[in-house]
Amino acid sequence: MSQDLEVVGKPTPRIDAVERVTGRAKYTWDVQLPGMLYARVLRSPHPHARIVRIDTSKAEALPGVRGVITHENARARWSSGDSLHERLIFNNPVRYAGEPVAAVAAVDRHTAEDALDLIEVEYEPLPFVLEARDALADDAPRLWDDGNVAGGRPLVYERGDLAAGFAEADAIVEASYKSAYHNNAQMEPRASVAMWEGRNLTVWTTTQGVSNARRDIAKDLNLPQSNVRAICLYAGGGFGNKNQAHDFDLMAAFLAKQTGRPVKLEYTRHDDFIGVHGRWSTEVEYRMGARADGTLTAVEMKAISNMGAYMKSTGTVASFERYACPNARSEITRVFTNRISSANLRSPAYPQGYFAMEQTVDQLAHELDINPLEMRLKNATRLYQDKTPYTSNALEQAIREGAALFGWEERWRPPSADVGPLKRGVGMALGGYPAPLGLGSAIVRVNTDGSVQVLVGVVDIGTGAKTTMGMIAAEALGVPWDAIDVVNGDTTTTPFSIGESSSRTTVMTGWAVKTAAEDARQQLFQLAAPLLDAAPDELAARAGVIYVADDPDRSVPLARVAARAPEAIIGNATTNPELKDMARESLAAHFAEVEVDTRTGLVRVLRYVAAHDSGQIINPLTAESQVQGGVHMGIGQALFEELGWDRRTGRPIKLGFHYAEILTHLESPPVQVHFVDSVDPYGPFGAKVVGEPGNRAVPGAIANAIFNATGVRVYELPMSPDRVLAALRGETA
Amino acid sequence: MAGNSEEKARRGVSRRGFLVGTGTGAAAAAAVGSGLVGLRAAEARTLPQAAPEQGRATVRLRVNGVPQTVEVEHRHTLLEVLRDRLGLTGTKLGCDRSECGACTVIMNGETVYSCSQLAVFADGAAVTTVEGLAQGDDLSPVQAAFAELDAGQCNYCIPGQIMAATALLQQNPAPTLDEVRRGMSGNLCRCANYNHIQAAVLEASRRLRGEAS
Repeated sequence: MSQDLEVVGKPTPRIDAVERVTGRAKYTWDVQLPGMLYARVLRSPHPHARIVRIDTSKAEALPGVRGVITHENARARWSSGDSLHERLIFNNPVRYAGEPVAAVAAVDRHTAEDALDLIEVEYEPLPFVLEARDALADDAPRLWDDGNVAGGRPLVYERGDLAAGFAEADAIVEASYKSAYHNNAQMEPRASVAMWEGRNLTVWTTTQGVSNARRDIAKDLNLPQSNVRAICLYAGGGFGNKNQAHDFDLMAAFLAKQTGRPVKLEYTRHDDFIGVHGRWSTEVEYRMGARADGTLTAVEMKAISNMGAYMKSTGTVASFERYACPNARSEITRVFTNRISSANLRSPAYPQGYFAMEQTVDQLAHELDINPLEMRLKNATRLYQDKTPYTSNALEQAIREGAALFGWEERWRPPSADVGPLKRGVGMALGGYPAPLGLGSAIVRVNTDGSVQVLVGVVDIGTGAKTTMGMIAAEALGVPWDAIDVVNGDTTTTPFSIGESSSRTTVMTGWAVKTAAEDARQQLFQLAAPLLDAAPDELAARAGVIYVADDPDRSVPLARVAARAPEAIIGNATTNPELKDMARESLAAHFAEVEVDTRTGLVRVLRYVAAHDSGQIINPLTAESQVQGGVHMGIGQALFEELGWDRRTGRPIKLGFHYAEILTHLESPPVQVHFVDSVDPYGPFGAKVVGEPGNRAVPGAIANAIFNATGVRVYELPMSPDRVLAALRGETA
Repeated sequence: MAGNSEEKARRGVSRRGFLVGTGTGAAAAAAVGSGLVGLRAAEARTLPQAAPEQGRATVRLRVNGVPQTVEVEHRHTLLEVLRDRLGLTGTKLGCDRSECGACTVIMNGETVYSCSQLAVFADGAAVTTVEGLAQGDDLSPVQAAFAELDAGQCNYCIPGQIMAATALLQQNPAPTLDEVRRGMSGNLCRCANYNHIQAAVLEASRRLRGEAS
């Protein structure tokens, strides 16, 4: 399967590594402009209330304050904040504790903070509801006129004949699971700097997609797209928040307009936790049947997702995608409550869904006395949704090779084999993520000295996309890695990018980069042909040399060819490849070993193997980083992370890194990453996706390892010590 | 109607206000009592006497070897002085409350969270930030190992991780993996690239001790 490649597939430090380790990389928080004001946001303490009166006069009178905006003087739709309802930047009524009520711009951030205390708001509190199940009751407080269920009904998927499938089963497992809301908690708090120059608005913002941010800002402020410039050169993480415009982009633009000065609106870490978003909490019920030999015959999943107050994402719950089963049904009800709007956090619908699915499969294996590994091998997906062929599918290879690396055969013992208070166990789970094809744009410019600029709209939120785009260009053009420079993250200097979300950049923008580089290469071949006394289509390029493919001794340095062009050669591509009746998925099998302290309920992850079919890996160095980080993030979700709500006040509690129990160096076990040898026929150089498959199997694998250690299942995420202890005592949390 | 004090409480405890309000000695004691870290340097210092006006002070410090004189408000942090006044934006703000370590700098030979050091506490101090590690174009061994082994993903935490690693290796030139984990545990990485960060610290340790890698 291995390809003959010069740059792609070689472990390569990031193209901007020096900028990043010297502190020279400029993130949004680092943007400082002459005369710039600082802005802060006042938030509602009430989970549901009508604003009766808002008086900003004392705040405006505070020396140093330059501008104040509220729902009364700054009305704009925040279109990417809700796909179903009209969500404004300041809403009245407010629908969650933490919803913005006003924003102040002042000469420094302390003055802006002081001014918030001087804004008088009179609220008329309204009844509120926090739990999705409660919000489904007929007499529940309503958030929206069309009811608390998004779209008015559940999303339903089904295939086959469920009743017949269960009738065939020799064993049936039923179980209910829950998962908590948890925050993205990316290291750079969200922020935006807005500057007007006449009709032109420039916004430096912590977005994952400048193209989408520009589109949204232009739409919401009723400006032509050509008057809006969105920039994000470095982003301090994202994990899903968000590949569009934020409310604070619009607030900063209003304040900058009002004051005639550039405005930097900074969300504090507190703002970030109560005012951005996190992964939706879920309640999931499973019913699953299998024959005595382990073959799945029927699976049914019913889920409820708590969307919070607004429809900021899909609210779906992943279920049985990784398994073959002829009879299957899922039903997902998305419910509005008076919580912060839920939305995307790395693999938005998946880890909580697979936590439920993988434990149910594991329990079925246990009841049928089948090794969990055999159960997966027997039932692993071979056709997507039992219907559509995959472009490539090395899941079985990932399971077998991962199991061998982990030592599954030697390590697996029947549940609760250890005597004594410390119990060790192993568990596994399947994962994966869609890898669709789609829209991308790129420009590859070969300068007359042979240096190359790759222009892409990509924002590198940490995935290494800036580097992989450059590597793809180097490979396709046939130049050495050090000839490449990448220009990114600015809508004025770079073309459209889908944005760094949903693990799409390598495939979508990468395909355009490859095509644009081939376009530039073809132009170079036209110039080189007379020099080599050959036709352009007889030529090839590699490592900075253009040569006759059948006679490599006839060659010319690429730089010398580029020098013959009157000016830079521009390769240009907008690509939108489509798949017909095929599914493209990255697939994974994860293996965990844990130790459970049955006295304290503390779970330690001792060892972890993540085996992935991600197609051809463009950059093994950064891909390993991503999968290791994904696994660690998954461990955090599995064992620690949860935002809580005070039932009496409706306000969130456990705010900030400390209380959210974000994983530290101490809880991070070594993660062995294994990419199986796989080349997908449809991605650039055979690539599928890497970013999001990393965390999705983790809570399931750890839950199954806890069961293997203790003989007890924990049905709620996070599997915090209290819940583990409750489960060991035979109580359901 | 929500009172302003309620609003303030909702936005979280302001340690800067707390520190200024209660005086340094009490603040340091209270901070130690509540398990906060990074305030040791604060215990030894008092506010400068000759403040130019109420609530303001002149702070003289050396940053990366360069003498600096900065007029500050008492409530300004060292982090704000470094970033907003001196333009040294390599040091990052992640939480502004001693929870994440993105703002870690070395002050008088010890790591501190610069978000939780009042600028006035840095009067007379020698401060090293991430901008002060490289010699011209030559990266420090820690920086070079971090770059080559891909220690950072988004890299927002990395300046702080690099400062913590630099100080760790000054105090313990040959740490074990477990000692690296403990020594670095005050620095969060939400990309959770901990395996690579730890590998980079160990690699830097080998290079600093002259061991070929």
